[in-house]
Amino acid sequence: MLTEEFWYVLIAGLIIGGIFGFILQRGRFCMNSAFRDIILLKEYKLAKAVLVSLAVLMVGFAIFAFGEVIDLAPKAFLPWAAIVGGLVFGIGMVFAAGCASGTTYRVGEGMVGSLVAGIGLTFGAAMTAGGFLSGAKTYLQDSDTLVGDASPSGNPTIMLIVGIVGLALMFYFWGWPAIKKRRDANEPLIKTDNLVEKTFKKAYPWWVTGILIGIILTAGYIASNDVVGITGGWMNIRGWLLSYENPGASVMWTGFIIFGIILGSFVSAYLAGEFKLRVPKEGLTLLKQLFGGILMGFGAVTALGCNITNILGGVPQLSIHSIVTGVFIVLGCWIAAYLLFMWRKD
Amino acid sequence: MVDITDTLDCTGEVCPYPDVKTKRKVKKMNSGEVLEVLVDYPLSAERIPETMESLGHKVVSVDKTGTSAWKILIQIK
Repeated sequence: MLTEEFWYVLIAGLIIGGIFGFILQRGRFCMNSAFRDIILLKEYKLAKAVLVSLAVLMVGFAIFAFGEVIDLAPKAFLPWAAIVGGLVFGIGMVFAAGCASGTTYRVGEGMVGSLVAGIGLTFGAAMTAGGFLSGAKTYLQDSDTLVGDASPSGNPTIMLIVGIVGLALMFYFWGWPAIKKRRDANEPLIKTDNLVEKTFKKAYPWWVTGILIGIILTAGYIASNDVVGITGGWMNIRGWLLSYENPGASVMWTGFIIFGIILGSFVSAYLAGEFKLRVPKEGLTLLKQLFGGILMGFGAVTALGCNITNILGGVPQLSIHSIVTGVFIVLGCWIAAYLLFMWRKD
Repeated sequence: MVDITDTLDCTGEVCPYPDVKTKRKVKKMNSGEVLEVLVDYPLSAERIPETMESLGHKVVSVDKTGTSAWKILIQIK
């Protein structure tokens, strides 16, 4: 039956997912682009947005942990799961042309290839959680040959310090020079003209995206007392589709977040005149995206989370597991991007 | 009006193919020639002009030609 809890997660999930999707689309926030383009295009804006959001999340999580609004829950360190899962996830997102969140928001833009990648992600994750790949996952998660017991404890004081120092450094090196330039050019510090157009029609500057992502994911943690995840959401929807006898009972928080992201991204893209159904011209591209999605699904379940859960959920809590996973997601992304796009010289 | 030397149609292509194809294409072109790039992917429409400028080429124009459709003109340095 539809309980009070159901309505809470429905409304909260759609609102938070919706705002998240809106920001993702406006900010073109995708970790695949962020990491890949560091080496491919020497373009750092999205990577900077990731760093800003990390610092904001550290401060946000720490404040609400101090206030006992949320319980921090950094993941225990499973070295091989983090290394192999992260690497496979990173390789997968290059093939899928988007990380878990990037893939999801692009569905709302009308990109059929991303929907295919999302389906691949769902089945890859399901096969790893309970299907024929689950043996590999269990093997990787159980072999803690590198370290013994590494149960972490999220320390809000350290998180707060790291977050504030990070924000201060970024402001000093990236923010201040931009402000000075504006002053030298005799421009006002904050331009308030066309605010509506800037909010709904234009792409956000990287630092705005980073701050907003940090705020909305902090809100997501407060609403559910857990990190926002993407892969779990897709699996949640799959479970819902499979349990047609009792629909409504099984779509919970994570699934509604996915619906929210797609909806929010659709609204954002539609308002900006950027929504269009787009199918890649070559069928091979779709196959690549499906394959990439499956790899991401395996990586995410093995490493205990996708890029959002680990990088924007675990890293701010200074979880060693999430930091190692994050590093290997970046490495996997670079290896695949090098082989796919930079190997050929012409 | 500039004379377009060549057209690169990247519509329907997913990230980062439009960016990579444009980069490869301009390498093969001669100084002064103009490349027309057609894209329907927002991020590429924003980034192709940026990367082209950082490579020293001249971005002649970026026109939104329809719903999620852009035409970018690049003059090779």
